[in-house]
Amino acid sequence: MSEPFEPKIVAFVCTYCTYAGADLAGTSRMKYASNVRIVRLPCTGRISPMFILKALQKGADGVLVSGCHPGDCHFAQGNYHARRRWTVFRALLSFTGIPEERIKFSWISAAEGAKFAELINGVTEEIRSLGPFEQYQELQKIIETQSTY
Amino acid sequence: MGIQEQYRNEAAELLSSGAVKLVIGYGEGSTSDRRRPVFIRSADETARLVLDANCIANLSGYLVPEGLLSDGKSVAVFLKPDGIRSVNILAAEAQVNPDQVVILGFDIDGGQASPLPGRKATDFAPLIESQKSTGLSTELQQEADQLELMSATDRFEYWNQQFSKCIKCYACRQVCPMCYCRRCIVDVNQPQWVNTSSHTLGNFEWNIVRAFHLAGRCVACGGCDRACPVNIPLRLINHRMSKEALDAFDHFAGESADQKPVLATFRQDDPETFIL
Ligand code: SF4
Ligand code: SF4
Repeated sequence: MSEPFEPKIVAFVCTYCTYAGADLAGTSRMKYASNVRIVRLPCTGRISPMFILKALQKGADGVLVSGCHPGDCHFAQGNYHARRRWTVFRALLSFTGIPEERIKFSWISAAEGAKFAELINGVTEEIRSLGPFEQYQELQKIIETQSTY
Repeated sequence: MGIQEQYRNEAAELLSSGAVKLVIGYGEGSTSDRRRPVFIRSADETARLVLDANCIANLSGYLVPEGLLSDGKSVAVFLKPDGIRSVNILAAEAQVNPDQVVILGFDIDGGQASPLPGRKATDFAPLIESQKSTGLSTELQQEADQLELMSATDRFEYWNQQFSKCIKCYACRQVCPMCYCRRCIVDVNQPQWVNTSSHTLGNFEWNIVRAFHLAGRCVACGGCDRACPVNIPLRLINHRMSKEALDAFDHFAGESADQKPVLATFRQDDPETFIL
């Protein structure tokens, strides 16, 4: 039997809520899929859509973006601004054929360790079933094979 | 008196009275159906101005160069409704002082240029309001709908084909009145956000970034779409962004000079159906 496909997932999270939530999941000894690589940022407002593109460029099969619930932002408004940006960026990605299922957004507070663990497991399973994001990774391969110029 | 004569006279009057220091308008182009921008500084040069149904370019971008308006003097510019919306956006983004812009407004309908009354961007508010209630272009919507009906895989393939043609000439950026950043993200190399090679990956990223930065700012003047030497349907991707801004945030780009840029503001009850 072949090994199950292990997707690479990059999570961009804010330090005040989702990262603390992930920390809580860890200190509570909750088990969750090891497919996720967490990148911690000061605020969801600091998560540029460029990060998502960069993650895909570097071979991610899925991306998760997560921060504080509305009203809970450490900087008061960062997540509200981020939410608008995500709405538009998500529509754009979808329109260019990047499947919505690969780019996930969530709110996870510092107290939601269990939600974090569940979400990571759920997202990992979903992306595992989608398989590798070959269409995008193919583009990177073209560059590598033609890197002589 | 035809519209061209009328506007030449008005331009001459504005210049000779000293109301404006410069008139930005259209002149003869390299072929009989092309027009190129002309910059008129004295009343006796106004005979170079042309105004007809071929004057389709959005000239508002010529207001932005650094220093043009810093002496406090006014500039007159020929604008269609899309250009007037661009001036509103430029004003909202603090790039121009709308009090220094005198608008020589016109519209093109049925192959003819017709005058639009008004001088200041605010005079055209009812017109822009009615454009908003008419909604975005139905033709573009139909084209976009066809893409939306495809599977994500096919859509990706469609854009892959389109973007693979891109030669990264950045004509779409240069022509756009809203692309005024002195350092564009594609010119930044620390970090290198966008691959600079014109391989499809870099082209994909470039076109996504361009469209994203114009979300809620594009006025559908069509400049980029006409400028693209390889005919990538940039209008579709721009249209999709305008539609998102309108549907999700009731934002019609360039409604007024006080309109908040759509991604620099928020409402607490903005929609968020997709957030887990
Ligand atoms: S993106 Fe294209 S259509 Fe939109 S304002 Fe810029 S040049 Fe005009
Ligand atoms: S004008 Fe067309 S070919 Fe040139 S950079 Fe823009 S999309 Fe690419």
